[in-house]
Amino acid sequence: MESRGRLSLKNLNVYYGKNHVLKNVNLEIPEKKITVIIGPSGCGKTTLLKCLNRLLDEGEEARVEGQIIVDGQDIYAPEIDVTLIRKKMGLLSQKPQVLPMSIYDNVAFGPRLFGLKHRPQLDQLVEKYLKLAGLWDEVKDRLHEPASRLSIGQQQRLCLARGLAVEPEIILGDEPTSALDPQSSRNVEQQLLRLKQDYTIVLVTHILRQARRLADYVAFLYLGELVEFGPASEIFSNPKDPRTMAYITGEIS
Amino acid sequence: MEKIRSSKIKKEKFQRLVGAAFSLFPLFLAANIFFILLLKAFPLLTFKSLPSLIFSSAWQPVKGQFGLWPFILGTFWVTITAFALAVPVSILTSIYIAEYAPDQLKKILVPVIDLLAGLPSVIYGMWGVLLIVPLVGKYLAPLFDTYSSGYSILAAGIVLAVMILPTIINVSVEVLNSVPMALKEAALSLGATRFEVVRYVVLKKALPGIVAACVLGLSRAFGETIAVLMVVGNVPEIPRSLFSPAYPLPALLANNYGEMMSIPGYESALNLAAFLLLLIVLSFNLLARWYLTKLNRRTG
Amino acid sequence: MKDKITSNPGPGLQRRKRVEFVFRALMLTSSLVVSLSLILILVSIIWKSLPALKLSMITRTPGSGYYLGKEGGILNAIIGSLQLTLGATLIALLIALPAVIYLNTYLRSKSFLAEAIRFALDVLWGIPSIVYGAFGFLVMLFFHLRASLLAGMITVALVELPILSRVMDETIRLVPAELKETAFSLGANRWQTTTRVVLRQVFPGLVTAVLIALGRGLGDAASVLFTAGYTDRLTTSLLQPVATLPLAIFFQLNSPFPEVQQRAYASAAVLTLLILLISLITRSLSRKLSRHKIY
Repeated sequence: MESRGRLSLKNLNVYYGKNHVLKNVNLEIPEKKITVIIGPSGCGKTTLLKCLNRLLDEGEEARVEGQIIVDGQDIYAPEIDVTLIRKKMGLLSQKPQVLPMSIYDNVAFGPRLFGLKHRPQLDQLVEKYLKLAGLWDEVKDRLHEPASRLSIGQQQRLCLARGLAVEPEIILGDEPTSALDPQSSRNVEQQLLRLKQDYTIVLVTHILRQARRLADYVAFLYLGELVEFGPASEIFSNPKDPRTMAYITGEIS
Repeated sequence: MEKIRSSKIKKEKFQRLVGAAFSLFPLFLAANIFFILLLKAFPLLTFKSLPSLIFSSAWQPVKGQFGLWPFILGTFWVTITAFALAVPVSILTSIYIAEYAPDQLKKILVPVIDLLAGLPSVIYGMWGVLLIVPLVGKYLAPLFDTYSSGYSILAAGIVLAVMILPTIINVSVEVLNSVPMALKEAALSLGATRFEVVRYVVLKKALPGIVAACVLGLSRAFGETIAVLMVVGNVPEIPRSLFSPAYPLPALLANNYGEMMSIPGYESALNLAAFLLLLIVLSFNLLARWYLTKLNRRTG
Repeated sequence: MKDKITSNPGPGLQRRKRVEFVFRALMLTSSLVVSLSLILILVSIIWKSLPALKLSMITRTPGSGYYLGKEGGILNAIIGSLQLTLGATLIALLIALPAVIYLNTYLRSKSFLAEAIRFALDVLWGIPSIVYGAFGFLVMLFFHLRASLLAGMITVALVELPILSRVMDETIRLVPAELKETAFSLGANRWQTTTRVVLRQVFPGLVTAVLIALGRGLGDAASVLFTAGYTDRLTTSLLQPVATLPLAIFFQLNSPFPEVQQRAYASAAVLTLLILLISLITRSLSRKLSRHKIY
């Protein structure tokens, strides 16, 4: 378990048709830390995130070149099964996307896909991950209600629990608090800070203050280029690139 | 200045009035069709009870017997056959178009379906006579050890099935496309295969809409006239199997409506048939549409 | 427990892939069946019509003994269909356009009247064309009309009215509120906003609606069966009966003479060609309308 969850991107290029959206990105994402990707909108943050679990495959037009190596395996190698790649990573999207089923079934969805049918084991699993996402106490009496009845903040934590239940090594978050109220946002942030003991976390955000609160490492993307990467304290206090400086001081956004 | 303004206002008032009159026309027309058919069907109902007309199978206008049961059954069986054939094919096709087909293939499939939707029913009927009727008579019926001229419920069902495919597919694809991409991505990122996403997430969301699409197709099938008339055989008997001929309500109207004036009660009977057809088609159609708008409102 | 799920997904995964493969194959087969039906229909019509496809088919009216297999063509039905459908579409447009403008200019979209009108249009759209035929026939008798171009035109107009109105209505409703607000803020009243801004914006959509209605009217046989009559001559007055292509096909196909049947196929080829043409124009227009949509 120790060396798991390391991600490295080598010469990553992504094209949408003729648009070159990610330009030769090289990045080593350290394990069991929170790495925050910042940058103005349209800079390719979300694209980068979707590359990591090959969700870009699902669109028609995107073309990916280069390598993404997870635990020593290139995830774009032809013999790799995409469902297993995705299982290694939990995704939190901008708006919580609960599946059209009960709270319980949402969490059990992934494990069931991979063949777990034994009910007591599932029960344990659901409880464990709902607790881990800090939602158990709020929903333990209504596990079989439709998940859509939860408040939006609860829904996002359910999505977190659901993602954790497939036992990933990496958690990807695409502005996971952007649809939430401040209280729920803080709740989700707290869960993430707790989870970094066991998981590698990659977050995309456009909120600089959130980046300051959460990040161990920061990557700054600008117009598809990785401008700067380093420990959060350095990037925020002493950026080397003038563009990074301009962004964190609010001159470009 | 004041004058100009008041004449402008007057003009707008006039436009408003004319527009209102025109826009009420559909209401007026719908009510008219309904009541005139009912009114024209009424004379027969004064000396025969409605159940005796609907459930009797004796159709001999010359003797004053107007049992509509064979026609109702004919309509029912032809429609059900078409429905059973069309539903699986159209649902699978619409899932393929919405979730799987690469863009190039979509660019072929979508116009194909549009063209199918646009072909006139007489063309479908002709195709049925040329290909489907011989297929049923010469190949399918012997396969089941029966004789059939080919002009049969099955032939009509097959032709009709192809005719309602585009209706069901178009509406289903629209419903499937309304399932948000982010939701599918959420399921994919849990390690689901594309088919598992379709089965557990997309279909669950889209099922009510797809059911409504099917009912809309069903209501179209009930009313289809010329194509069915050309291949169904038109024998006013209670059909015994899929290979026997039948005589659906629309065909009854098409064959007899123009020249019904001489026999007493005949006109009334045919108008009753038209009214029944209207009632059946509209109830299914409105059910589907009401449901679809309700869904639209909830998701959009 | 953890390792049970993660370390050995092998056989389960293979089964899941098989299910995926089977269903994918089924879906592809279904799509092929759909495409194949269209190809079968078109090919069988073209194949069968080849022997009878002569220029005289579309340049001459039926001569004497035409229905026994002698010389002549279906010019009467081609011209008749065009007269009838164009007339019907014009009538339908004259009712639908003011109605739709009113609906979208003066009524709030959730108001009771607007809902009632849209509901009525949906009802009308659902009515089978044979019922319109019957209704048209009853109206015709009421006004002591004979089966004629006029009666046929009116009946087909009724068939087209809901299609035309609803398609136009949906197009106009998609116009963003911002555009209207811009016009209002420049001092235009509602009428001016609709006619000068909104209608201009959705013009291609309106043309599409008209073409869809036109195609539907051209191919409809059941509604003209009792109302338009049939004639071997060209129709020169609104009160004369008129020949139509669908009925020409229908009648000739019932003939016992193979030569006449072949002409039914040729007539079908002509009708299909017209429909294809209309649908091609419609497609290219609607692509212009929404260049970024796949559908």
